[in-house]
Amino acid sequence: MSNGQRRFRKILVANRGEIACRIIWTCKEMGIGTVAVHSDVDRDSLHVRFADESVCIGPAPSAQSYLNIPAIISAAEIFNVDAIHPGYGFLAESAYFAEICEACNIKFIGPRPNIIQLMGEKVAARNAMKAAGVPILPGSEGAIESPEEAAKIAKEIGYPVIVKASGGGGGRGMRVVHSESELAHALETASTEAAAAFKNGDVYIERYVERPRHIEIQVLADEYGDCAYLGERECSIQRRHQKLLEEAPAPVMTPELRQQMGETAIAACKSIGYSSAGTFEFLLDEDGRFYFMEMNTRIQVEHPVTEMITLTDIVRNQIRIAEGDPLGFAQDDVLMVGHAIECRINAENPETFAPSPGKITAFNLPGGPGVRVDTYVYPEYRVPPFYDSLIAKVIVHARTRELAIARMRRALEAMVVEGIKTTIPLHLKIMNDHNFQAGNISTRFLDDFLATNGNRGNSKASAALTEAAA
Amino acid sequence: MSAGVKRAMSDQESQQPAAEQSNEARAERGHRDRDRGRRRHRPLPKHLEASINMDELRELIGLITDNALTDFELQREGFHVKVGRNLYSSQPPVAPVLPPETHAIQATTQNAVKSVPHTTPPHPGAQAEEAASEDQGLHLITSPIVGTFYRAPSPNADSFVRIGSHVESETVVCVIEAMKLMNEIQAEASGEVVKIYVENGQAVEFGQPLFGIRQG
Repeated sequence: MSNGQRRFRKILVANRGEIACRIIWTCKEMGIGTVAVHSDVDRDSLHVRFADESVCIGPAPSAQSYLNIPAIISAAEIFNVDAIHPGYGFLAESAYFAEICEACNIKFIGPRPNIIQLMGEKVAARNAMKAAGVPILPGSEGAIESPEEAAKIAKEIGYPVIVKASGGGGGRGMRVVHSESELAHALETASTEAAAAFKNGDVYIERYVERPRHIEIQVLADEYGDCAYLGERECSIQRRHQKLLEEAPAPVMTPELRQQMGETAIAACKSIGYSSAGTFEFLLDEDGRFYFMEMNTRIQVEHPVTEMITLTDIVRNQIRIAEGDPLGFAQDDVLMVGHAIECRINAENPETFAPSPGKITAFNLPGGPGVRVDTYVYPEYRVPPFYDSLIAKVIVHARTRELAIARMRRALEAMVVEGIKTTIPLHLKIMNDHNFQAGNISTRFLDDFLATNGNRGNSKASAALTEAAA
Repeated sequence: MSAGVKRAMSDQESQQPAAEQSNEARAERGHRDRDRGRRRHRPLPKHLEASINMDELRELIGLITDNALTDFELQREGFHVKVGRNLYSSQPPVAPVLPPETHAIQATTQNAVKSVPHTTPPHPGAQAEEAASEDQGLHLITSPIVGTFYRAPSPNADSFVRIGSHVESETVVCVIEAMKLMNEIQAEASGEVVKIYVENGQAVEFGQPLFGIRQG
């Protein structure tokens, strides 16, 4: 074995649910032993059943279990693991946790702690990206001091602009401004609203994109400076900034734009010294210009759509990179075959989105050609109320987007989950929506969709949000 | 399956030795009985009339699994049912002791859990939990953390407590080492130590029973 490489005998999976299972599946394929940690209510969870070893680390509340660093490290030491895979969420982007792993001589499967720290702070990340030549959304550097300053900045940015509260979000303290004449009034009202909502009347200005798309680039980088991008994902269909449905490639993408965005991401990786898997989130405006939003220094929920079209195993790559292997392939080797769509199935009422924990009394998973399901539930399993509501991801892969949509519709129709409510009906409606089918997607898609599809429980709320954001 | 079940019933009902019936008559009656058996009120053998019927039994098993009960036992005249579900699944569910016509239910209960491994992989608490579950009425001191259990403050020192020791709520009963830090665990109960479930140097998990205290 060459210098810097060591094979892991055992990995502790510091997570739960579908991603814990996902990591365990790849570890099994690689012949690596697995240790599952779990809270007491997760004793019967699937990841615990299929891991080689398991240990209860605390009671149900995440703070005392899945976020409990001493408990996890203690478990890692008792079981003598070589590495920890943090999954997504929980401690995946905790620079502190990554540092402790290093101090305890346990390999954290992800980038170095200082990189996690850097990209986790909004301001620091933006500055680092600027320095790397990555386009960022034009805006004022900080809070606006005066209407004159605002007018000057807005002119530089170019209208339309949006006035936003520094102290919070959710549509409050936001005003879209289409011309200079509206600016002063908008500043005043936004500031007043912000002061009332967040006790902080500070506002800043940003370029406003009417119908942005959320396009993200998946990267892989080894610990020797070599990087590649595995194409993009279209993730615009979101509710309250939570993604519901993703696809790859993005319907609106061209090979030129993909190359531009991908090479930008690679340059950024090299500039900051990135390693392991990561995702650059961009906002794409209607003129085909892209702007950096944020970077996620971990594996993401929607990674399967990339895996399907590029025929890669991102978890496997993460493990090999952590073991000290070089990347092993060049950008030209990256394949992109067909089209993949993922629907996140949540244990929620499909109309009101109220959480629906409870016991699954009947369960059937779709199968057949081009269908993949990442899940952690099974018949008779009791979905606990303590954690997020994602119970399964249904992913389809087909030659074309049209075929993928038909395949997803078929797969969702065959998926049976009884005893709890799920968002399967909502996803079916989206598959049948003509805008979705035409690829007319932006981050406003779901609000518009819910409003026009007579979601009684949600229409008032979504109308209010749309109004506030306008 | 149902054919086999009904055949047993019709055999019980039949008072005539099989040889005295023609094959045709027997097949015809068996067929008839099978059809009658599908209705709710089938004629039960006398000795089972006072006992539980299929629907009651299904409902009972449903209640047991819905509420995650570990054990259930019911006795009536001429009838005894025992249903067990081991929480830690280190054994398959205890087979119910039921009269023949309920074999169908037993099969479906087992099938429902077959797709997921019965056995939880080895975890530190498995044996101790089984031992502790037998000790009714004892107050259990369980581990609040993940770590390594030690009975004494250092290798050559005396144990903090032994069987028969009296403890108060602030009595230190053991040390659990986690990440090179020694955590002193207090009894948080007063009484007599009657059981010790773990061994010196053993890895323990959150919630694992360590000591059984008879309170008082």
